[in-house]
Amino acid sequence: MTEAGYRTGLVDLAKGQISREIFVNDEIYVQEQERLFARAWLFVGHESQIPNPGDFFVSCMGEEGVILCRDRAGQIHVFLNSCRHRGMKVCRYDEGNTPVFTCPYHGWSYSTDGKLVGVPYFREAYHGALDRSQWGLVEVVQLCNYKGALWATWDPTAPSFHEYLGDFARYLDLSLDSWDGGDGGIEVLGGIQKWIIPCNWKFPAENFSGDSYHNISHRSVDLVGIGPSGSGRRDTRERELARRLQVSFYERGHQTGVYVLPSGQPIPLAYAHSPVVSEYFAHCEEQRRRRQGEWGRVIGSPGEVFPNIALHPRQPRTIAVWHPRGAHKTECWRWYFVDKAAPQQVKDFLRDYYIRYSGPAGLTEQDDMENWNYAHAASRGVIARRYPYSYEQGQGYERDNYEFDGLRLPGTVMDITEAKSSEHNLRNLYRRWAEFMEAESWDELATWRRGDQNHGIVRAAE
Amino acid sequence: MSDLVNTRELTPGTHIVLVDGAVAEVVSNPLDGVWVVARYLSSPVDPSVVGQEEMIFAQDIAGVRAPG
Repeated sequence: MTEAGYRTGLVDLAKGQISREIFVNDEIYVQEQERLFARAWLFVGHESQIPNPGDFFVSCMGEEGVILCRDRAGQIHVFLNSCRHRGMKVCRYDEGNTPVFTCPYHGWSYSTDGKLVGVPYFREAYHGALDRSQWGLVEVVQLCNYKGALWATWDPTAPSFHEYLGDFARYLDLSLDSWDGGDGGIEVLGGIQKWIIPCNWKFPAENFSGDSYHNISHRSVDLVGIGPSGSGRRDTRERELARRLQVSFYERGHQTGVYVLPSGQPIPLAYAHSPVVSEYFAHCEEQRRRRQGEWGRVIGSPGEVFPNIALHPRQPRTIAVWHPRGAHKTECWRWYFVDKAAPQQVKDFLRDYYIRYSGPAGLTEQDDMENWNYAHAASRGVIARRYPYSYEQGQGYERDNYEFDGLRLPGTVMDITEAKSSEHNLRNLYRRWAEFMEAESWDELATWRRGDQNHGIVRAAE
Repeated sequence: MSDLVNTRELTPGTHIVLVDGAVAEVVSNPLDGVWVVARYLSSPVDPSVVGQEEMIFAQDIAGVRAPG
């Protein structure tokens, strides 16, 4: 492996080929921790998980364990879950409520605003001389509450979260707004599902970036009919009426799929297994169209906020984070969301459907995990590593300023309605990955500030 | 039988005797088994702390003083 040359060697966008090394090489994995996870904005949780002062939820940012908590004054913080004295975890619960985080090793204790408030033998052993104000919990340098979703970064030079998102915010909103497009908000449903799989974190990240080519893997689930109307794994009627698009943000590394209905086309009824749920969503869709106008024609599909946050805005509505645990292991965390104001019957119905679909016991996610795990295992050998993966689908057919029936979509768009599939979004993930791996600073990474247009794209002849 | 005080069982209002002879009243308990917050009622070593609230380390607690 060479130290440099991610874009010119390991991630060859001109050829549409990516080396297996970036998935299985331990040195590259180590570099990712510094280059990606210490610099990017990462999802740590949702405000509905910590509604009251003293509430906390233990989360992760890359390999780092962190505590998301609300202090006594109601302010939200994210702290490194590590005592400043000898590094022991100061919180070993998954979630709860507490007035202090006390290290069980030597007893240093921190208030929920991170201040060091308890030092055993402070007068006797330290002679009162330890400057406690300098030894509080390490706090993230930037934290953003975006529509209830909490994001953080360790990098003081990183752009604000809003700048990090850019116009991708409109697509992220499809996951975070209440379904009627109003400000009623969403909340986390139940607990967070957590499980470990034997593959590199980029396998699931790529999958959720927009790999619709693997639909064949889910054919058995579709045959079983786990969907909320009794056939397939989701309701798909609106998809048959819509343009099917993949949208990439080259300068930021975010990407998603969307469906766009023709102007004036109402969204067909869904959730036929429950008249109450069906009616609830029909009402919400009507409200959403009224509030959002033409944008209400856009229906969300899986996407990814760079680097490791997967969006699944609808059926089921979840966010997943792929926590790196070594080159060959990933810890998956999945949050499930419902409208805060939805009737209990709707929440109960969705819970059952979500569990059926996603997570370690979900039939669809089981298919995915099997693919990722075996693909990783089969790519580790010295012979296997010599052969790159192919990412050539649709190369050169992406379009800026895409418009359908009077609605212009932000981002660079690949229309796959007729093509059926593309690896446009997947290339975008690795394009940005390579930029992060090579760039020395955010001055280099914030390419949009310089108005750079060339991101190594090879366009097909117009 | 151990005389060790289980700090998790100390409720607000309980009077505790510290190893330096001070007496303090428990104000709150984070239930972490390590600390309690208490107000000094007396201190033979440092009378200036009387009336102050401080976090008291479990290993500095010698015992519980019976009420009255």
